[in-house]
Order: sequence, then C-alpha cells, then structure tokens
Amino acid sequence: MLGPIEIEVIRNALTAAAAEMDVTVWRTSRSTIVRELLDYSTAVFDAEGNNLAQSARIPSHLNSMSHFLRELLDRYVDPATWGPEDVVISNDPYCGGQHLPDICAFKPVFHEGRRIAFVGTLCHHIDVGGLVAGSYAAKAIEIFQEGLRIPPLKLIENGVRNEGVWAMIRQNIRKPDLLLGDLQSQIASLEVGAAALRRLATRYGAAGMIEAGRRILDMSEQAMRAAIGRMPDGTYEFTDWLDDDGIDLDKPIRLHVSLTIRGDSISVDLSGCSPQVQGPTNATLASSNAAVMFAVMCACDEPFAANAGCYRPVTTIAPEGLVVNARHPAPVVHRIAVTHRLLNAMFGALHQAVPDRIPAAYYGNSYVCTFQTVGEDQKREVLVEIEIGGTGAHPSKDGVNALSAGMHNNSNIPIEMIEAQAPLTITRYGLLPGSGGAGERRGGLGLLREWRVDSPRCFFTANMDRFVHAPYGLAGGGPASVGRLVLARDGAESPLPPKSDNVPLQQGDRVRLETSGGGGFGDTAKRDAAARARDRALGYVAG
Amino acid sequence: MSDRPVRIAVDIGGTFTDLQVLDARDGSVRAWKTPTTPEDPSIGLLRGVAEAAQRFGFALADVGLLLHGTTIATNAVLERKLARGVLLTTAGFEDVLEITRHVRRELYKVDPDPFPCLIERDRRLGVPERMRADGTAELPLDEAALPGLLARLDALGAEAVAVCLLHSYVNPAHEQRLKALLAAARPLLPVSLSSEISPEIREYERSSTTVLNALLMPVVKAYLDRLEGKLGEGGFAPLVFLVQSNGGVCSLRQAAEQPARLLLSGPSGGALAAGRIAQLLARPNLVAVDMGGTSYDVSVVQGGRVSVVTQGEIDRLPVRLPMVEMRTIGAGGGSIASVDHGGRLTVGPRSAGSRPGPVAYGRGGTEPTVTDANLALGRLDPDYFLGGMMKLDMPATRAAIADKVGAPLGLAVEPAAQGMLTVVNANLGAAVRLSLFEKGLDPRDFSLLSFGGAGGLHAIDVAAEMGIREVIFPREPGTLSAYGILYSDLVQDIARSRVMPALPASLPAIVALVAELRAEADAGLARDGVPPERREISIAADMRYHGQAFELLVPWPEATELAPLLARFHAMHRQRFSYADEAEAVELVTLRAIATGRLPKPEAAEHAPEARPALKGSRRVFEDGAWRDVPVWDREALPPEDRITGPAIVEEPFATHWIGRGWTAMLGPAGALIARSDA
Repeated sequence: MLGPIEIEVIRNALTAAAAEMDVTVWRTSRSTIVRELLDYSTAVFDAEGNNLAQSARIPSHLNSMSHFLRELLDRYVDPATWGPEDVVISNDPYCGGQHLPDICAFKPVFHEGRRIAFVGTLCHHIDVGGLVAGSYAAKAIEIFQEGLRIPPLKLIENGVRNEGVWAMIRQNIRKPDLLLGDLQSQIASLEVGAAALRRLATRYGAAGMIEAGRRILDMSEQAMRAAIGRMPDGTYEFTDWLDDDGIDLDKPIRLHVSLTIRGDSISVDLSGCSPQVQGPTNATLASSNAAVMFAVMCACDEPFAANAGCYRPVTTIAPEGLVVNARHPAPVVHRIAVTHRLLNAMFGALHQAVPDRIPAAYYGNSYVCTFQTVGEDQKREVLVEIEIGGTGAHPSKDGVNALSAGMHNNSNIPIEMIEAQAPLTITRYGLLPGSGGAGERRGGLGLLREWRVDSPRCFFTANMDRFVHAPYGLAGGGPASVGRLVLARDGAESPLPPKSDNVPLQQGDRVRLETSGGGGFGDTAKRDAAARARDRALGYVAG
Repeated sequence: MSDRPVRIAVDIGGTFTDLQVLDARDGSVRAWKTPTTPEDPSIGLLRGVAEAAQRFGFALADVGLLLHGTTIATNAVLERKLARGVLLTTAGFEDVLEITRHVRRELYKVDPDPFPCLIERDRRLGVPERMRADGTAELPLDEAALPGLLARLDALGAEAVAVCLLHSYVNPAHEQRLKALLAAARPLLPVSLSSEISPEIREYERSSTTVLNALLMPVVKAYLDRLEGKLGEGGFAPLVFLVQSNGGVCSLRQAAEQPARLLLSGPSGGALAAGRIAQLLARPNLVAVDMGGTSYDVSVVQGGRVSVVTQGEIDRLPVRLPMVEMRTIGAGGGSIASVDHGGRLTVGPRSAGSRPGPVAYGRGGTEPTVTDANLALGRLDPDYFLGGMMKLDMPATRAAIADKVGAPLGLAVEPAAQGMLTVVNANLGAAVRLSLFEKGLDPRDFSLLSFGGAGGLHAIDVAAEMGIREVIFPREPGTLSAYGILYSDLVQDIARSRVMPALPASLPAIVALVAELRAEADAGLARDGVPPERREISIAADMRYHGQAFELLVPWPEATELAPLLARFHAMHRQRFSYADEAEAVELVTLRAIATGRLPKPEAAEHAPEARPALKGSRRVFEDGAWRDVPVWDREALPPEDRITGPAIVEEPFATHWIGRGWTAMLGPAGALIARSDA
C-alpha cells in the first residue's frame, strides 16, 4: 500500500515523463507546424488506456488521446497480442480520432511481465494528402477527399518497422520527408516515455505502478466530484450557432446543450444539435468530448490534476448522425469550428449554474487563411495564418483584447518575418474599435489585419465563421461584432466568402479581415464612469 | 585598466547588499553584507564599502574597480516606477505592442489578464512612413508630420520616447532621422531607437525591448548620476562597471543609454560564479541551482561555458537581448504545502515569500512551508538561523504541519514534514533533469553546484534523485553572485538582422556587415577605455533552415567563409534536434558581434580555516524514519583533511547544508565543499 507521499511523487514523475516525451518531439520533429505552432501532445496512460498525465498546450487535445486509445483497445487491437515492442498508429476519426492530420502513436509499457502503462504521442502533420495541400479542404464533402486514412495498425511490430506501411504512407502525401520525420520523432518520444516509466517501475514494482495509477485517477475524480458538488443542481440549456458548413450557405448549424448537474455528476445532452452537414464542419466524439470536458474543468472552482479521473463524473449524450457525432463518411477536418461553438454553448449553459465564474462568448473560431503566392519565375511561397479575436467579458473583469482563447492556442506570425519571406505586405494590423460587446464589463476587442499581394498571382483559401452569428453577451451584456472578410481591388471593395478554396488574387489586391471581439457581461448602464472614460480615451469603443 | 589594488563586486538585493572584496596585495577575497537602502541603493552601497574598508583594512583610495550588480532597472519595471513614455511607430501598426504574440499561458483560466502593456493606446502615435523588408522605402518619412507629433508629445507630457518602425533592423534611416528631428526640437527628451537597442527582426519583441529601454532611461540615469555624484568622496574614485543580463559588465555610459541591458542581470552573477568555479575545480560540466525563498533557478555550464540565449522576459514582457539561459520553477524555502479535496499533497508554486514568510519566522505565517519542514525535522537549528540573527518558532511550526498536512493525510508531524521534502525534491529534480534533457545532455555527466539561501538542504537529495554523484557547495553560497561578478569582463553585444540565404551570392553583403559590426564593437571597447591588447571580438550568426521560425546561434570565428559556418550549423542542428539536411536551404537571420574587454583577474589566495573546533556538536534530526543524533560541523573552521560522513549537517552563518546518508564531503579548491556519493 503506497502512502500519499509516494502517490504524489509518482504523479509528478508521470507528468515529468510526459514532459520529457514532449521535449523529445520538440527536439526531433521536422516540420514547422509541430515545432512552432506546438500542435502536438504527449501523454502517459494506465494499463487500461486511461490518461494519467499529459503535456498539452492545446485544449482540443485534452482527453482526445485517451478516448482514442480506449477505442483501439475496445474494438481494433487485441490487447493480448499488443507487445512491448509494438507501436500502433492511426489517424482515423471513425476509429476514435479527431481528424486526419492528427496521427496518434501508442506503445504499451511492461514490467515484470505485466503491462503497467501506455505512452502516446499526437502530432498534427503538415499534410496527409487529399484535395488540397495541408489537407484542410474547405469544400470536401466526404472524408475520402480529406487525405490518407490510416486504420489502427502496427507501424512497428516486435521492434521491426512495417516497411509496407511506411511505403504506403510515403506514396500518398505531399511532403513525405516531413511527415515521416515527424512520425519518427513520435516514435522516439514513445521510447523516452517508456524508459522513464520503466525507471519508475524498478522502484515501485508493477503492482505499485498499477495501484498508483488507480489512486491518481480516484483522487482527481474525487476532487472533480467535490467541485461539481459545489455547483447548484438543475438542468441548464443553451444554444449557439455556426454560420454554415461552406457548402449549404445560409444554413446555420445548431449547437444545443442541455446540461444537468445532479449531486456530484454532470450529464451533457447534445441531442438537440443539428444533423451532420455535407461540408467538413463536423466532429466525431473524440472532438466533442474534448470541448465538453474542457468547459467543465474551466468551470470548476479549484485547480486539480487533469487526468481521466476528471472525466468520470461527466457523461456526454450524443446520438450518431449529429454534427457532434458524425457518421462515416462525413468530412471532419474543420472539427475545430464545431468544438469552438460547442464550448461557447457549454459556457452559456454553465453560466446559469455558476454565474459568477463564466465569461461571455469569446470569438469562438480559428480564422484560418492561406496565401499561396506565385512569382514571375513560378516560385511559390505558402503563408498559413490563424487569426484570433477578443475574449468574453468575465463577471469580474473586462475581456482581453486579441488573445488566443477557447479550444485553440496559437501565436501570430511577425509581420517582418512574413514580408522577409513572401511577396506579401501587411498593410494594417490593429485592434478593432467597437468590436467588443458592451456591458458592465466590456468584451475584448477583435483584430483587423490586411494583406497586400505583391506577386503576379496568388491563391487564397479561407475557413472562418462568426460572420452571421455574433459571440453572445451574458447577463444583459451585448454581443460582440461579427467578422468581415473584404477584397479591395482597383479602389473597389467586395466581400469574400469566409469558407473558400483557391480564390485567385492579383498583384495589388488587398484582403482585409476583421475578427469578432468577445461578448459583454452585465447591464451596460452599470458600467462605471472611469471605465467608460478609459474606453473613450483609448479608442476601444467606436465613434 | 586601473593599477589600484582593490576590486569590489557589489550585488544589491532586496534585503541585503552583498560585497566581495579582492585585495591584490595579499590575494584575499572577503565578503561583507549590509542592509539595502531601497530609496537610494547607492547609499547602502557606499556604506557597505566604507564598512568593508574599515573591517578589512584598505583605504577607499585603494579601490580601482567597482563592479556593480543592480536590480534598479528590474525593480523599476516590476513596480512600474517608470518614465511616462510615448511610442512612435509606423502608422497602421500602433497596436502591435498591445496585441503581443497572443498565446495564453494558462489553458483553463477563464478570466485571463492581458499581457502587460507599458504604453497605452492613446500614447502610441503613428508616423507616416514604411520600409520594406529589403531596406528600401515604400513610403518616405513624412517630415511634415513632425509639428503634429511634437504637439502630441507635449500634450501627453512625454518624459521618454521609444521609436520602433517596421524593418528598421535593415534600414534605420527613418528612425535615425526622427531622432535627429526630435533632438533638434526637444533636446532634453530621452529617445530610444529600436535600431540601436535591439536591431533584430520580429516587430513585437523589438518594440517591447525598445519601450522598456526608453522608459528606463530617465530612471537609471538618475540613479547613475547620484552614484557618480558620490564618487570622489574620501578618495573613493574607482572605475565603475554595471552587470548586464549577458553575464558581462558595461560602462556607466552604456548603462545610461541602454538600461534594458541591465534588466535580467540577476542570474548573471550566479552564472559567472558557476563559470569561475567550473574553471577552478576543473569541472567543465556543472548544473548550477540557486534556491531562494520563492524560486529555484537552474542554469547549465557545459564545456566550461555558461549558456546564453538571445531573448528573455520580465513580467511577461519580452526583452530581445542576450541573457544567461535559465529555467525557473516556483519552488523555494517559502513554498507552501497544502492538501486538496482529493487528498493530494502539493508543495508550491504558492509561496509565503518573506512576508509573512514561513510559520517558523513568527511573522503571521500560518501555512507550512519547505523551511518549516526542514525545521520540524531538525535540519535547521531554531537558534542558529541567519547565524542566530532570527529565532525560529518550533512549536508553531510543528502545529501548522500537523494541522495542514498531517491531519488531512493521516500522518504524524515527522512523516508529514518528510513527505513535504520528498515532494519538493522530486519537483526540483524534474526541473534539473528537463534543463539537461532538452539539450540532449545526461545528468550523470554533471556535478550539481548548489547555492542560494535554501539550496544546501536539498542539493544532495536532488542529486541522488537524478543519478548525479557529486555536489559542490561553494563558499559563501549566499553571496555567490557577488563572487561571480568579481571575475567578470566587459561584454558588448551588437546585432544586425538581415534575412539572407546562406549562399556565396550573399557573402559580400555578409562580409560587409561583419566588418561594420567589428568596427562598431572595437570602437565601443575603445570608448570604454579597453586597451587594444585586451579586446576580443567574436562573430556569431543566428541561422535556420528555410521555413523554420526560430534560429540556432552559431559561432563563426573566422567570419570569412561560409563552408565552415554551414558545417557548424548542420552539426549543431543535429546535436540539438537529432537531424540535419545538407541539401536544405539555410538562411542567416541575424549577425552578432560579441565584444569582450578582458579585465585583469588577480589571483585569489586559499582561505585558512578559523581556529576553532570544526565539529560543533550534534543535534536530534529525524532521518531515515527515526530521530537520531547527527553531527553538526562548522564550515568556517573545517580543515582540508577532515572527512564529513553523512548523515551530517554543515552550518555557516547564512546557510545550512545537509549531507545525506551514503555521501561523504571534503573541502576542495577555492574553499568549495565537495560531497560525493559513496555508491
């Protein structure tokens, strides 16, 4: 029987193992998306696939690997034949994954002949084939167009590479050296994690490791239940909307949450969400669960160790065939949009339970756009930008202007870096006055960014939302502004569709994006005079 | 550079001003401590010098060199005691400073605070102009806008002006012209140009650095003026140098113009000391850990060199200037232990700080801390804390541990306190392991150098945890920074960003830039009075594969041919990131000159032990599950031939060291106590 001190030391050691795995990916990966956008996660699981410790910077990855691994163990890989030198990979959303660019790799860890744990690594890969470079096609209508689907399989078996699989992947993707390099680094990080766990197991034994894992999960579950128990019982409903799926324009997608708190558990019924859509704005359960869990953990009043124990008091009900639990072969690459809006809806429901804790809606959207410039000499440069907006006002303070919020977390690219590398000029970049929702607490401001094309030709791709349905205010606070995407050509301005593939642009064209701020909180009449004066002095409000 | 025999290093901290005095006439190195005078730190500094002169028997006129570490710039930023500033920037980009890089630090926090922004929106003024990335002007500087800008500056009551224009790192002409125009119109107004303080690509980081610099200029200048005003009194007229973030010192002139270079100088002293000790003890690989009340700082000496990075931050504000590389975690003597609703024991990062401090201090602290755990287990002596200057409250300490940790976990006081130490030591070990691991280094190849007020009680346990077999406790661990400063050199960093392919076609431009950098570096050293034979200039380049968004700093000693530079880049990339691709396009982003003015290094004599028994006695310590009598040694009286076998305690006035079971300690060179694992 381990004491509380050993448990905490083991818990820290598991977190440190995930951190070492993380450093390994960072140190050894090839593509910029992994190392600069830090779009990867590493985790340690118990012998049944429950997440014990994780190193994640992106909320959409939370819980998702554990979900994937449990699906693999339940349906796709016989645990009895999964040996210590076997690495299983998959990216298939219909086997427990989120979307095709995210390839997960898992490996079991054995000690004294017993499986004591799993280690896993998730990387967002730069390209997995499909309709468009980067595998982010806005107009895909089935998953087959989104790239190579890797079913759960042993990429390495008994320590030997399955060369046929490597060759198969190589043949089907645009940047094989980068993808396979990043995959190598995932495998290297699994070994680093496994070694750390074996080191730990020599001190505590297989039985000790298993007992520690169980107790670590129980402790987090207990802390989570205590936190939920402090929330008032009741059923709370909320609806928010995605503008459309990019195919059926003007057909909004409903995200409806009915959240019931009873005692120390929460059930989240998503049955009221729209049916799945034609375009890639769909999610599988791995994605939707991540948004549900993230929302509940944000609403708790005490920080605690995030692991699979936290998931136990929370049940998600999501019938298949809905936008939050899409049925094969729906396209899903833009699942982040669904999770952003689902998080908005979850917060709207949780606000009714714990009104002093939950902010109004953040911009709720990854403003992804790509410029592919083509020079006189046919030289191509690709710029992928992910813009953000303002955060929602909180009951106790104003929202923050221009801060990565909600399901994603990314930085901007320096203007000087862009201009030094591609024939593009950023002609304006600033906060957007008036874009935050009004209220006793004002929502944070969105952004304005404008690009000018300096090459003879350029192709523009976008995948954005919140152009019709604004981020909501709460408790009487006003909504934030909606986004705008404008093409300025030869002195005239015209709107650009926010979900579009390969729009041809010419030299001198300017593309201007205005992003949403965050919603306001509370009655505007109650906003104090000093805060109003400051808003006017700093030009945070329009006019 | 001065033929007067005494050199003094001063490190001004929040509570104490630490001095180290080296007298070249007998090689003695001696430490002195005096209370810091926060309202004007130069008062405490001069008082400390006068006290040391009297105590150690030198004349003020004997002091040739004063090496001054100061937190004046750091504190001014943390306390926001800064000038009222205005930012002039390219019109259309006034919000870059406020937008920052916009990644959040805390994933689950739903009421985030914005990143600090030192100049608010109404004080950021757009200037009509635009440079391109190639250094050509797309829009010339519109000088007709100047009268309007001046009127705004006056109306805003500007006390300092930061100027950061897009692409000024390539072509500073617009910034320079603005400065000339401002100087002509408002000659007394301090102006800082981004192209002077940090001419590097990435507009937000450069703006942040320039703003910090501008807002500090009046503050630091006022301090240096006060200090200079006092020089000459009583014949005290040394050359004065200030410690910078990069592990070197700079002249008063440079510090007044570029005070942002002082911002992250705190770790410099410790890192300099680590470098010095690595040399004296012939231990080229050291991991140096500095444990104080609230934080644990880890830095790495590899192959005898302290690692330096090109950017740091203060209070979440980036400072794009070279600084000593350091990993900091929130764990120190004041870290608080608590048990959550799930029954989980955590230690830190919450800290009791120095007010109220640990329960043991009797200043109103009620939550048990790491220091309290050390006291409860007998590792600290309640009657000999800070050399007996402060009595510790044992009953209150035991009661707090019993109440806040023991009861919720169902443990007696001793196992609860032991548990607190076990948890914190595991955290410290993880920080050390990661610092090495991310560089691809193995802890077993390193010795642990332990200093800071709280370090000595934890170092052996941390080392054991990591598989490190040797721990070095330097002399006077509480004033080690000042000791490091004593052996510093003048270091000036000059940089120029220019994104260029690393191809022969770029070589003429690169060579011209290097020549410019060398000339500037040489002139800088000359201006600070460094004779030619003591000047050293080395060149390095920030490089990356095309498409990467960060660079590796690659030394380029010859700085004439690309082939060796490229070879070194590929090799470094392979070591750090496990692969290299010689077919891939490589870019240069920034060229750097590191100009060093070597200061003479007088030899220090070895210390003689105090003439009193080294073995002071013993006390009851809870160790390995039971209360036992453990010997207590007096560090200052320890002769070189004595062997200390763990478990044992070694005390000195400002620090206590724990030598664990299975370890043996002896004195080594430079008075360092070296403990080795018997295993």
